[in-house]
Amino acid sequence: MFVTTYLRRELRHRKRQAVFTALGLAVAIGTVISVASASSGAAKAQSTVLKSLYGVGTDISVTVPWSKETGAPGHMVQPGDTAQQLDFLDSPAMGLLDASSVPSIAGARGVSAAVGALILQDTKFDMPAAQPKPGQPEPQMTPPKQVTVDGVDPARTRPGPLAAATVSAGRGFGAADTTADVALVSTNYANANSLHLGGTVTVAKHAFTIVGLVDVPQNADPRDVYLPLARAQAVGELSGKVNTVYVTATSAADVDTAAKAIKALQPRAAVTTADSLAKAVTGSLADTAKLADNLGRWLSVAVLAAAFAMASLLTITSVSRRVREFGTLKALGWPTRRVTGQIMAEAAATGAIGAALGVGLGFAGAAVITRVAPALNASVASSPGSKPVQGMIISGDQGQAPTTQGFDAPDSVHTIVVHLTAAVTLGAVVLAVALALAGGLIAGGFGSWRAARMRPAEALARVE
Amino acid sequence: MYELTTVTKDYVRDDRRVLALQGVSLTVDDGDWLAVQGPTGQGKSTLLQLLGALSRPTSGTVKLDGQDLSQLPDASLTRLRAESIGFVFQFFNLLPTLTAQENVEAALVPLKVSAKERRRRAAQTLESVGLADRAAHLPSELSGGQQQRVAIARALVKEPRVLLADEPTGNLDHDTAGEIIALLEARWREQALTVVLVTHDNAIAQRAGRVAVMRKGRLTVTPPTMRQGVAES
Repeated sequence: MFVTTYLRRELRHRKRQAVFTALGLAVAIGTVISVASASSGAAKAQSTVLKSLYGVGTDISVTVPWSKETGAPGHMVQPGDTAQQLDFLDSPAMGLLDASSVPSIAGARGVSAAVGALILQDTKFDMPAAQPKPGQPEPQMTPPKQVTVDGVDPARTRPGPLAAATVSAGRGFGAADTTADVALVSTNYANANSLHLGGTVTVAKHAFTIVGLVDVPQNADPRDVYLPLARAQAVGELSGKVNTVYVTATSAADVDTAAKAIKALQPRAAVTTADSLAKAVTGSLADTAKLADNLGRWLSVAVLAAAFAMASLLTITSVSRRVREFGTLKALGWPTRRVTGQIMAEAAATGAIGAALGVGLGFAGAAVITRVAPALNASVASSPGSKPVQGMIISGDQGQAPTTQGFDAPDSVHTIVVHLTAAVTLGAVVLAVALALAGGLIAGGFGSWRAARMRPAEALARVE
Repeated sequence: MYELTTVTKDYVRDDRRVLALQGVSLTVDDGDWLAVQGPTGQGKSTLLQLLGALSRPTSGTVKLDGQDLSQLPDASLTRLRAESIGFVFQFFNLLPTLTAQENVEAALVPLKVSAKERRRRAAQTLESVGLADRAAHLPSELSGGQQQRVAIARALVKEPRVLLADEPTGNLDHDTAGEIIALLEARWREQALTVVLVTHDNAIAQRAGRVAVMRKGRLTVTPPTMRQGVAES
């Protein structure tokens, strides 16, 4: 093909300009891909965080803010004449819902499935005697040992906290476990506390046989112990209660409809969707996502505009330098469209080279972002309206007025650490290549417009 | 056959109206060889551009075989240039990035000749101007005379009816200029071309069948007396 030969020779002849233009486009395209991949990575990380906060397959979570009316009665204990070993379950920072509300939520408009769970905290605590025996030193209070416990429906683990779990030993829950004193223990907790498959774990002074060890991703907010819901309700003295309902909508488009229907059913409930939860997520991940979305977008636009302007300017300059060449071609009988086609082809080829280099730069940029990006954290209140302190221990000491000592409810705020992986998507590559070609064609368009306006006689009269 | 009737051509340069041609009337028969002489800036190149359908007259008519070029649309003029008119320029106007062979082929591109035929015809024409062994060379690798031969080959490869040459020897030494004119004469004779050649060189002009002198946009044509003698000598 004559056109390709001419094209190749021209690009080689004007190598410096072609390289400069292609590099400009490449930097712009590389920036677009890097920013898009960072943005995509941040969105993916956010999605991961949201999934972990929700549980896989969950579109909506329903909780009730803590209040005197909705909260568990709590455990009031006082030092006695002798030391006491306390071990009780509580619903930290979360109000309670009747388990009967789960089927009604499941039947709400736009809801596909609803599963109730009871997120609890087991507190083990050695309470010294109020009056130490004469001659004995005053006993020191040891800090409470807290174990996170989740009561889940053994027959239905999706949606819910165990949806992301993998069984590393033993088995998972089944329908037959509904009333059994069995437990799943997280592998990390088991290792840290020398628990093993077939052994027992004690929760609220009740022994549960460990039938499985599970791995829940670190960013998926793992609990230490999982019990059948009915057993958790029984030992926690919270029969017929749940404090979280995981809901799946019939489709993504129905999430808002379902949320409104649930809110109508449970006016006091906090109905949290991915959107509302995303807004509640704070921390460096949210900042990164905002940065990638806002600054990244404008940076991309600015760099693209600069690259396009530079490419257009260089192409117009090139056409100006080649006026007599194009005049000669017109004198030879080349139609204007063929002359402009030649200019467009050269510009498009430069754009294609820029696109190829840009994709390479984009991959490199994404790799650098992935490598140097610090771990990002995302924080979100575990349930809207949760109170920050739970589990008041009241103690008295030698006739003094009782004092209160509180310990933070560990689940009042979830902080999840994720690593930003800036993965280049096919969509980003296609977009970038299209932009590079568009940049080349825009530049070629300016050059062609200039060439098309040339009168051959005037072009030939030009002295170079 | 060209027929120019009271042709005027003006244009604006530096906000000043320049009258390049003033009432030029001229007839150039098929197979004629017309030399156009005159001082610089008197309208010679403008006349050539009108003959080559590169521009349109301000008034008057320029007819080629009875067709008024000033009335034809741009596409038809482009087609006419592609098929019937060959140009040779003082500064050769070769495309610097293409080889001699490819420069010659460029003239056949708008005629939609197949690549194979294009290559064959270009090679044959280059051979006819004595440059078969320079076909793969870039213009920068050729002497001035060789470059002008390539330009002539490019003008002739499409077998035009008209050859318009604007000072084709103006940038060449005396001996090379003689070779180029001899080459043009040979091809004029072989192909029954109509040649209009602008030159400052009296010796070259006197080898033409007719000589026209352009002064201040007006053309004076001398009778056809010498061409026969030159052709027979």
